[in-house]
Amino acid sequence: MATGSIMANEEQELVLTRVFDAPRELVFKAWTDPKQVAQWWGPHRFTNPVCDLDVRPGGAIRIHMRGPDGTVYPMTGVYNEVVEPERLVFTSAALDADGNPMFEVLTTVTFAEQNGKTKQTMRARVIKTTTHAAPYLKGMEAGWTQSLERLAESLAKA
Amino acid sequence: MTPDHLTTTFAALSDPTRRAILARLVTGQATVTELAAPFAMSLPAVSRHLKVLEHAGLITRGREAQWRPCRIKAGPLKEVADWVAHYRRFWTESFDRLDDYLRDVQKKEKNHGHRKHHGK
Repeated sequence: MATGSIMANEEQELVLTRVFDAPRELVFKAWTDPKQVAQWWGPHRFTNPVCDLDVRPGGAIRIHMRGPDGTVYPMTGVYNEVVEPERLVFTSAALDADGNPMFEVLTTVTFAEQNGKTKQTMRARVIKTTTHAAPYLKGMEAGWTQSLERLAESLAKA
Repeated sequence: MTPDHLTTTFAALSDPTRRAILARLVTGQATVTELAAPFAMSLPAVSRHLKVLEHAGLITRGREAQWRPCRIKAGPLKEVADWVAHYRRFWTESFDRLDDYLRDVQKKEKNHGHRKHHGK
């Protein structure tokens, strides 16, 4: 049984929580064993022909996600923190067609025991941008809020 | 999705004052003086925020020298909304699959587990 929610906290991160009906060790393994990650990573009907995870601080992440129409979406990253079985921090970048990182997202996933189940909390924030935008962004941290999202949605409809 | 636009938009939106200004502009165009009214902030400070928003393509400003009304532009915000929606879909569906996966693994363990058979 899974319950989930998406919200933005005061620090302007995107926060997603889920409760999995499984012990914490099992959930952590599903996140850190490449063979297991390849089975669930990505939207429905996506596969992961490449899934290399060097799960240790400084270790690399390389996943090639393949959509139902055959399009491959490459993604690279690096682990910042690995604390078994409670915490994973990684920086990941979506790559453009030329293989250059478009922007980076810092993702923190924590796993907490909750009556035999596991409460997983994911926090994500955009931390870095292309070099063109870098001077402009100096000293700034990008983020977004739910209110912003609502604002954007209402504008998109207008 | 153009990365530079998206990241510039994120940066412009990272400030609460600027988000408040945009929220105000959703209800209609306004002058700098009108936009400054709710904030304990000087006109030049508000103007600086407007410049950032303008640079990010989030607002446009009228030509009239004295009365330069600000208007909101939906394009870049839609890009952000699209990205957030994409991000949300990615993780929500991944976690649905993780949920299924964990259920399957535990079912298999239950079926084979009584003999304490650990496999390879």
